Amino acid sequence: MSFRRLGRRGGFHPPYTRPVGRVERSATRLLASAVAVFSLLGAVTLVQAQSTGREPDAKHGAVIAAQGTPAGAPPCAQCHAFNGVSDASGAFPRLAGQSAYYLADQLQEFAAGERTSAPMTPIAKALSPHDIADVSAYYASINAPFLPLKAPDPALVKRGEELAKIGSAERRIQNCDNCHGPEGAGEPPAIPYLAGQYAHYIAFTLQMWQQGYRKNSLDQMGVMAKKLDDQEIAAVAAYYQQVKATLETAQSHRND
Amino acid sequence: MATRLQPVDAVTIGVGLTGSLAAYEMVQSGLKVVGFERGAARETVPDFQSPTIHDELRYSIRKAFMQDNAKVAVSFRNNSDQTALPIRRWESFLPGQGLGGSFVHWNGQSFRAQVADFVLRSRTIQRYGQKFLDACGPELTIQDWGVTYDELEPYYDRFEYLCGVSGKAGNIKGQIEPGGNPFEAPRSREYPNPPLKEPYFGAIFRKGATSLGYHPYPQPSANLSRPYTNPLGLKLEQCVFCGFCERYACEHYAKASPQTIILPLLLNNPNYELRTSCEVLRINLDSTGKKATGVTYVDGAGREFQQPAEIVFITAFPLNNVRTLLLSGIGKPYDPRTGEGVVGRNYSYQTTGGPTVFMDESININPFMSSGAPGTMIDDFSGDNFDHSNMNPPFIGGQYVGSIMTGGRPIEFHPVPPGTPRWGLEWKRAVARHYNHTILIQQHGTSMSSRLNYLDLDPTYKDAWGQPLLRMTFDFPENDIRMSQHIADKVVEIGRAMGGQTIIRGGTKRPYSVAFYQSTHNAGGAIMGGDPKTSAVNRYLQCWDVPNVFSLGGSAFPQNITYNYSITIGALTLWALDTIKNKYLKSPGPLVHA
Repeated sequence: MSFRRLGRRGGFHPPYTRPVGRVERSATRLLASAVAVFSLLGAVTLVQAQSTGREPDAKHGAVIAAQGTPAGAPPCAQCHAFNGVSDASGAFPRLAGQSAYYLADQLQEFAAGERTSAPMTPIAKALSPHDIADVSAYYASINAPFLPLKAPDPALVKRGEELAKIGSAERRIQNCDNCHGPEGAGEPPAIPYLAGQYAHYIAFTLQMWQQGYRKNSLDQMGVMAKKLDDQEIAAVAAYYQQVKATLETAQSHRND
Repeated sequence: MATRLQPVDAVTIGVGLTGSLAAYEMVQSGLKVVGFERGAARETVPDFQSPTIHDELRYSIRKAFMQDNAKVAVSFRNNSDQTALPIRRWESFLPGQGLGGSFVHWNGQSFRAQVADFVLRSRTIQRYGQKFLDACGPELTIQDWGVTYDELEPYYDRFEYLCGVSGKAGNIKGQIEPGGNPFEAPRSREYPNPPLKEPYFGAIFRKGATSLGYHPYPQPSANLSRPYTNPLGLKLEQCVFCGFCERYACEHYAKASPQTIILPLLLNNPNYELRTSCEVLRINLDSTGKKATGVTYVDGAGREFQQPAEIVFITAFPLNNVRTLLLSGIGKPYDPRTGEGVVGRNYSYQTTGGPTVFMDESININPFMSSGAPGTMIDDFSGDNFDHSNMNPPFIGGQYVGSIMTGGRPIEFHPVPPGTPRWGLEWKRAVARHYNHTILIQQHGTSMSSRLNYLDLDPTYKDAWGQPLLRMTFDFPENDIRMSQHIADKVVEIGRAMGGQTIIRGGTKRPYSVAFYQSTHNAGGAIMGGDPKTSAVNRYLQCWDVPNVFSLGGSAFPQNITYNYSITIGALTLWALDTIKNKYLKSPGPLVHA
């Protein structure tokens, strides 16, 4: 029965593999189990697609974070802290709990020069493909606290929240959460979380996209950043910094 | 008693693709236009934004964007010996509701029809003979359109640039272009945007099809491959392959829809007024029955109004165009016993359903990363692209074949091979094994019109306003089954060449069922043509009997084409509007004298 339905479907919509008339009842349960299958398979195979053919070694990643590599990469912890929370200056992005796929992708692109950064390019070049996989797996695995930061201007946060959750109809700006997940929790493997990321870093990165210095994300972030003015960039940055996603939320969205 | 309102120049019944185009062209000509939409107003921001929009239960299963069939359903039967029953849950086809209509929840699959499609009857007789056509089925009532591809080409071009279609030309002014579809009808220039990136399933299909000597090409898509500013100055963005396209609206300004390609300009025009939650009950005629005086409608509070207008555009979903004509007494209703009458005649559908190809576990498809039109296609079996003269049993028509996977969403997509239990541990194991290692191939093609298939008013069932439902009487003509089954065999060979381990064969079967999804390309019922005895509207989509009423859209197709029909509807509508603007407005009256 299920394959009969599978074999008969249209050119415009996907097939139904389910028996007609039963879905409404069982949909919630089905959704839960299917989402698990979906995310698990999706994330695993995506990571495999770009990995080095071996399971990443997070313990080795921790060694790199603490001590650097014999090939000359300095310890990541010097700027990003051993637990990946960096520091309250916001000059360095928070890495803790970020998608391993995303982190590895950025390191590869720093190394290849597709994302330019005077400090990060030589460091990434000094890391082997195995090192990149391992250190990304390490920082992705960390459940770290959020540093106490000065409370931002509530009006700025409110404007940022509107843009992040709703967007702007009159200016044709879609919301950030479309891609970055509910309250910026991330849509792993490819899309990083913003919740709890430092405002300074978010604003700096948006400016880099806006000015054309950062290009390694299709063209999409460039298009988005160019729609925003300075005040709006400050607003979304301030909003996301103070959305302290609980680690449970971040974990439940990760699965990598 | 209906309140009589101040007259306006024109009204549109429905504000979707055709309603937006018609209103825009008319306000550009200085007319005052009112658009009636039975659904709600909605915009990309905030209505289509995440997390709301990626809700599979709400949109795919409960079909939140579709016509409210608790209020207005369609009744259905396979043949005129049966009693039709109302369709209480949309499955086979999905008429949209709400501002933007079905052109919001479409997939963006953006094909042109072929040269031969527009002259199907004369071309078939010329190439194969009348005897052959009779052998395909004496019940077939296929016709020429009354408009040719060459006449429509400039309007195809205009509409594709309005939408920002992403694709690779296969034939520019007769010159075959490498990388495109060599069977394509000649186009005047390249697509406005390059094709989308080819997903892995497409690459595997390309390899398999090429090895058998077929001609793969990238599916033209109105999910854009790069940021684009259309000729009206509206900015669209690049598709991010989110996997939620058909049945959904785009959160990202990356799919052509009325909201992204035209509506902002229309809604800002002082000559335009949008009225939502308004159900048009009928078009009113004067005492001669030859002139429309406007429409009667009910607003969201249940109040009835008369809106006088000089021109009425019927711009609803094709089925609702036909129903509006029938409820208004415009044109003679089709009578299947005598074959006389035109409204409801030549309703046609589409043949769909291709094989499922189960691959080795080492092949990772990642089907969740997808746009609405990411396919790799072949047109070797489309329409009249292959010689039918030796087909036994004989048939006409054809199908495109391609791998188009539009998102591996969890509720809808869990392919399992034959013999798998339908639930329980074994089913779960099979889903986990096959979810990421299965490729779907589409067969999608023509359906011929037949004197047995038609639309009329249901004698029993009524809508929320007490008006009869539209009744659909339809089954696939034997011709369509022969065609689809012939191609199904060829497609299984492609599946094997792709490395498929298990293949579930596709192909259309009878009886037609409304209980599972096939196609939303319902066509015909108010068809165009050159003879008022066999068509409801002339070549400019003007009603023969009431020249100030125009019925725009897929209801005008005399029979259905191989392809997804939105781009052809757009082109046909712009073609008609051009003549309405340049001729009808200057001198109202019949544009064609029968």
